[in-house]
Amino acid sequence: MSDEIVQIETPFQFNEENKREFDELIGRYPVKEAAMLPTLHLAQRQEGYITPAVMKYVAELLELSVMKVKDVVTFYPMFFEEPVGKYVIRICHTLPCALRDCKVVLEHLKAKLGTDVASETNLAKGTTDDGKFTLMKVECLASCDVAPVIMVNDDLYKNLTPEKVDELLEQLPN
Amino acid sequence: MVQERRILYEHLDVPNINTFDVFRQHEGYTRFEKTIAEYQPEDIAKMVMDSGLKGRGGAGFSTGLKWSFVPRDIEPRYLCCNADESEPGTFSNRYVLEKNPHLLIEGILICCYAMGIETTYVYIRGEFTLGKKMLDAAIKEAYEQGYLGENVRDTGLNINIYTHPGAGAYICGEETGLIESLEGKRGQPRNKPPFPAVEGVFMKPTVVQNVETLCNLPFIVGNGVDWYTKMGPTYADMRNDPPTPDPNTGTKLYCISGDVNEPGVYELDLGLTCSELIEVAGGLRGEEVKAVIPGGSSAPILTHYELDTRLDFTSLTLAKSMLGSGGIIVMNETRNIVDCLLNIMKFYAHESCGQCTPCRWGTPWVRDIVQRIADGEGRQTTITRPKFGITESGRWGDTGETEEVYEDLDLLENVANNIANVDTMTWNTICVFGIAVSWPAVSYLRKFRPEFEAAIREGKLVTLPVAEATVPPEENYAYQQRIIPKEFADL
Ligand SMILES: Cc1cc2nc3c(=O)[nH]c(=O)nc-3n(C[C@H](O)[C@H](O)[C@H](O)COP(=O)(O)O)c2cc1C
Ligand code: SF4
Ligand code: FES
Repeated sequence: MSDEIVQIETPFQFNEENKREFDELIGRYPVKEAAMLPTLHLAQRQEGYITPAVMKYVAELLELSVMKVKDVVTFYPMFFEEPVGKYVIRICHTLPCALRDCKVVLEHLKAKLGTDVASETNLAKGTTDDGKFTLMKVECLASCDVAPVIMVNDDLYKNLTPEKVDELLEQLPN
Repeated sequence: MVQERRILYEHLDVPNINTFDVFRQHEGYTRFEKTIAEYQPEDIAKMVMDSGLKGRGGAGFSTGLKWSFVPRDIEPRYLCCNADESEPGTFSNRYVLEKNPHLLIEGILICCYAMGIETTYVYIRGEFTLGKKMLDAAIKEAYEQGYLGENVRDTGLNINIYTHPGAGAYICGEETGLIESLEGKRGQPRNKPPFPAVEGVFMKPTVVQNVETLCNLPFIVGNGVDWYTKMGPTYADMRNDPPTPDPNTGTKLYCISGDVNEPGVYELDLGLTCSELIEVAGGLRGEEVKAVIPGGSSAPILTHYELDTRLDFTSLTLAKSMLGSGGIIVMNETRNIVDCLLNIMKFYAHESCGQCTPCRWGTPWVRDIVQRIADGEGRQTTITRPKFGITESGRWGDTGETEEVYEDLDLLENVANNIANVDTMTWNTICVFGIAVSWPAVSYLRKFRPEFEAAIREGKLVTLPVAEATVPPEENYAYQQRIIPKEFADL
């Protein structure tokens, strides 16, 4: 993908607050490129996912080619290239959680939300029709002592059971 | 029963220990003050060397030795704190970041002073939003109090700490993957040498150190080397003449999960046995221990024959396993080892960075073979191959006999051993992720072969009773005793 092929519908720009945060960030590194991950995190927080416009903007900020940015975005599972739900539910399914019945929680979530599990190349598959939730499996979240665990956006929920999942989903604001 | 000895975790549950004032009331930063008041940088480096501290992140490499490789004449030098904690079964760094971040800052300060480092990046895995928030807040306080920034405590030193978020890739825990990722690239490990100590981040000398390793520094300086080396066993390395001390000193934040009644982090002197640790963690949940993974999912598995193995760097290496990150995963008699291996292989197949062919192709291949066996579709054809065992000389080797094995089991072992050979400890890959794949694959297969065979024979997963599922130590070289003469003796 060269810079010309990218179809940009609406350009992206940091809002005031993120711009300020970016300006602080960039001073931390001897080369601009090193600010890549934190910058992409900021952009994703603002835009919801990494659009071609975001990549172009980040490339300009860091004085890199769009290709370089795209290269990084595709490598890391936490960056989304498609829209996701308002709440991203990450369920851990690695061994210690599996030993504590994360499967039961996963099946319950699938039934309750009426959706499948997203894959890295198909996020829509795990997103509810109303766009409220995206369900995805992730690897060990470093909380195996309180397994099974899920993360809803930035927050971790521990020792889950189907009942606790119900409670949790109910108290999430619309 | 073995008692917990809380040092790093001593004040973890003190309310508001994450704030500067409360941390200060609990001897906070006094060790750093002692450092700058009483010692020259070389003294600190010597203390760390003498303490025998080994890295807690995975490789278990001597911290003092690592520091000694850093060229002092190249400026600037960097410290990267590895807070990527993503080895399955490991969760001790998280609590430090979330509850006691000032302790980490104090450790970093001592390291920076010893190494003449001005800039530290703390690479925190992207999912640790709370941990990053707490550490950021603590760093801000430390700047305000004059422990960070320009001319720290009138020493003339400038020390800065920045947090850097990861984005969900396990391989960024590998030190050169971390460095690449920090530089804003894909987290693909570099060929070594040169090692990071010589050419690391931004091509400058870089010390990469785990959170727990750095948190040990304040206590080594504060309480002295003698105090520190009294904790944990020191063996004599008989390979050297005269034998040299092989320290396994200090405490370890053992993370225990899986089938125990009280999973959690327990801080204990290095060197207690597997059964003792299970006891400390509230005992086994279930009837019988089937298997224990001693050092995160990358470590070769231990069977019920090996529960008296001491959980320290040397003992586990001799048991052909490793302490790794100290993540202990316990499995009881109801667990199926094929199923467990499948789970782990899915993890590795997902996390391979894709840079080298044996790993990129081999890892999914191993996963597919295990998947096939777990689905009851393992290939039933058998092949004849030379049988290895104890030979007349009493050593491990070709017995001259042959054995029949299922094709898929031979294939599994072969593919795994061609990513990295676990017998010769050589790898055909850029980083040791390759070993992390073949170690579990080969050790599970060799030690629990009857369960793999049953799955192929019966066409479905069969969970055998523990005694039947496990190959006894006399019959397989996946265990320790047969090939390694006693190289280490208790000092
Ligand atoms: C595949 C792989 C993953 C690793 N993941 C981590 C990790 O999550 N955290 C960590 O501290 N070290 C990890 N390591 C070990 C690091 O490469 C490195 O040895 C360590 O950070 C050095 O610090 P230490 O000497 O203080 O342990 C990993 C190594 C490999 C090969
Ligand atoms: S061994 Fe695997 S993870 Fe390591 S560099 Fe090669 S492909 Fe990447
Ligand atoms: S395996 Fe789920 S948090 Fe570690």
